[in-house]
Amino acid sequence: MQDGSGRIVVQNLTKNFGQVAAVQNLSFHVEPGSVTGFLGPNGAGKTTTLRMLLGLVRPTAGHSTINGQPFERLGNPGRVVGAVLEAQGFHPTRSALNHLRVYAAAMGLPDQRAHEVIQLVGLAGAAHRAAGGFSLGMKQRLALATALLGDPQVLVLDEPANGLDPEGIAWLRTFLRTFAASGRTVLISSHLLAEVEQTIDQVVIISRGQTVFYGMLDDLRRSQQSRVLVQPADASAFVAALQAAGINGIQPMPDGRVAVTDATIQQIGDVAAKAGVATYGMQEEKVDLEQLFFRLTSGQYTAPGYAAPGYAPPPQHGGYALPAEAYQQQQYQQQQYQQQQYQQQQYQQPPQQAYQQQAYQPPPQDYAQQYQPPVQESSPYQPPAPDPTPAPQQDNTGQGGNA
Amino acid sequence: MGNMIKAEFRKILTTKLWWAMMIPAFLVAGGWALGGAALTTEIANDLSREDVIQQFDIPINEVSWSVIALARAMNIASIFPMLFGALGLASELHRRTITTTFLTASTRPGVLTAKAIVYTVWGVIYGLVIAVAVSFGALLGSDSNHLPDGKQWALVLLAGVIMCTLWTLFGLGVGALIGSPVGTIVILLIYALVIGPFGEFVLFSATDGSNLPGFLPNGSANGMTGSTASALLFEQIQALVLNLGGEMVTEDRRETFDQAIRAVAGAPGALSLWLSTLVFLAWTALFFGTGMWRNQTRDIT
Repeated sequence: MQDGSGRIVVQNLTKNFGQVAAVQNLSFHVEPGSVTGFLGPNGAGKTTTLRMLLGLVRPTAGHSTINGQPFERLGNPGRVVGAVLEAQGFHPTRSALNHLRVYAAAMGLPDQRAHEVIQLVGLAGAAHRAAGGFSLGMKQRLALATALLGDPQVLVLDEPANGLDPEGIAWLRTFLRTFAASGRTVLISSHLLAEVEQTIDQVVIISRGQTVFYGMLDDLRRSQQSRVLVQPADASAFVAALQAAGINGIQPMPDGRVAVTDATIQQIGDVAAKAGVATYGMQEEKVDLEQLFFRLTSGQYTAPGYAAPGYAPPPQHGGYALPAEAYQQQQYQQQQYQQQQYQQQQYQQPPQQAYQQQAYQPPPQDYAQQYQPPVQESSPYQPPAPDPTPAPQQDNTGQGGNA
Repeated sequence: MGNMIKAEFRKILTTKLWWAMMIPAFLVAGGWALGGAALTTEIANDLSREDVIQQFDIPINEVSWSVIALARAMNIASIFPMLFGALGLASELHRRTITTTFLTASTRPGVLTAKAIVYTVWGVIYGLVIAVAVSFGALLGSDSNHLPDGKQWALVLLAGVIMCTLWTLFGLGVGALIGSPVGTIVILLIYALVIGPFGEFVLFSATDGSNLPGFLPNGSANGMTGSTASALLFEQIQALVLNLGGEMVTEDRRETFDQAIRAVAGAPGALSLWLSTLVFLAWTALFFGTGMWRNQTRDIT
C-alpha cells in the first residue's frame, strides 16, 4: 500500500474556497529524520494545506502523498500518520482515557496503548476527567496523545504550542527532536519562527498561499547579513563613490539615510573619506531570523522592487526569487532621495491595492505592532507615525516598506 | 470494519445520550400506550352498551382495540430513536471529533457504513425498549378482553421495532446531510410532530381519502404500525362476524374500515403494511444515501 519511507510530498496544491484562493500551487517535500517547520502568518494557508495532506479538505488542484500514497489509500492511516490539528476535537463529557480508547479501537489497538500514551504526555492523573473541563494546554496534550496512539511514522502538528506553558513547550521540543532522531518525520506549523526555531531543521515559509522560502534553516540563517546605515551629507555623491568602489549593495531609506549591505563600516568610512563626503553617523544593524521571516511573509503588502534587497534571497529551492538588485539601483537613482515623492509613490498606493485585493486576509497586525516600522506612516491601514526624521536606534528602517 | 464498529459502539457508550434518550422514550411509549388503551377501553365499553350496536350483533367488547394504542404509542415514541440517530454524525461534525474519526478510519464511506451498522443495532435496541414499554402500558390501561392475543401483539411490536430502526437510520442520514445538530433536530421535530401529521391529515381530506399521505416519510412510517393494527382488527372482526353467521365483508367496505382504523391509529391514508415498509425504507435509503454523499465531499476545515 505504501512505501514506508516516511516521506511527505506536496505537489502543486491549490485550494479555492469560493472566490478566495487559500492555497496557490504549493510544493514542498519533507524527509524522514528531520523536523520541518511550516511557517507563515495567520491566514497564509497553513492549516488548509495540512488538512489537504490529511485528506480532510479536497484540493482544487494538485496532490499530496505520505509514504508515496494519498491519505485515503494508506489503509489504516492512524498507524502511519498522527496529526494534532486543533485542541477542540473532544466530546466535552467523554473522559480523556475513553477518548483514547475510542480511537485505539478504531485503529485496532489494545486498550493498553491508550494508557501508555496518556502517561507519555503527562495526563495520567487526569485520565478519568471529562475533556471538556481541560485547559487548552491539557487539550493540546490529549490531542498529541491521540496522534501518538498508532505509533505513527509521520507526525503532523498544526500550531501545537498554542496554549502550552513554557515547560510544555520545552517538553514538546525535546519530544519532537527525539521522535525525528529515530528516523521519523515531523511537520510542524507555526506563525512564529521563534517558537519553533530551536526545534526545526528545515523550513517551508508560505505567505498568501504561496511558498516564499523552502530550504534548510541553516541556509536561512547564513543568508542573514548585517548592513550599515549611513547618513551622508550628500547622498548622491556618496552613492556614486560607493559604486565607483565596486560596492553595489546600496539602498535608499525613507529617512534619507543609505543602507549598505556588502561592505564593512571601515570600508564605507574609507570610501566616504576618499570621496570627501561627510558622514554624520554610521550604524551597523543585524537582522535576526525572525525579522527575516517577517520580511519574507509580509511581502504581500509591499510594492514589488522594495522587498529586502541585499538581505537577500536565501538559497533558491522553490523557485522564489527576490527582486534584482539592478532594479533597486535604478529606483535609487530616479528617486534622488526625494523623500516626499518616495513615500507617495512607493508606499502609499501599492499597499492599499494589495490590501484590498486580498481583503479576506487580515493585515499582519501582530507583526506590525511588534516590529513597528516607521515607514508605516503612509500606509492606509496603520495610524500615521508622528516623526519621519532619522531615528538611529531603529532597526531595519524603511527596508523597502515591508518591514 | 470490525474496528470501526467497535469504535462507534464505544463512542455511544462513553457518553450519556443513549440513556438520556432512552428514558423519555420508555416513559412516553408506556404512558401513551396506557392512556390510549384506557381510552379505547372506555369508548368500546360505552359503545357496547348502545342499543344500536347491540342490534347489529357486533361483539365490540371482544375486539382487541388495544392494538391501536400499541401502534400509536410506538409511532409517538419513535421520535427518540430518530433524534438519537440524528445526532450520530451531526454531533461529531459539531464537536469536531469527526476530524479524528476520519484520520483514524480507512475511508469515509467506511465510517458511514460502520455507523449505519451500529445505529441499526441501536435502533433495534430502542425499538425493543419501546416495545416493552408499550406492552406494559397496554397491560395496565386496557381491560383484558380488549388485549390482543400473543400473535397479534408480536406482529404489532415487530412492525414497531422495524419502524424505530428505520427512523434511527433516517435521522442519521438527515443529520449527515444537514451537518448541524440543532438544525437537524429542529427540522426533524417540526416535520415529525407538526408538518408530517397535519400535512397528512390535510392531504388526506383534500384528496378525498386517497393514499397520498402514505407515500410521505412520516405517513409511511406510521402506516407500518397503523396498517398492522387495522389488518389485525379487521381479521378479528371478520372472524367474529362469520362465527355469528354473518357474511364476508365486501372489498369496498373493507377499504373503508381500514382507512378508519388507520386514521384512528394516527396514519390517515396509509398504505398496507408491506407497502408502507417499502416506502419508508426507500425514504430512509434516500436520506442516508444523500447524507453519505454529502459527507464524502465535505471539507472538514
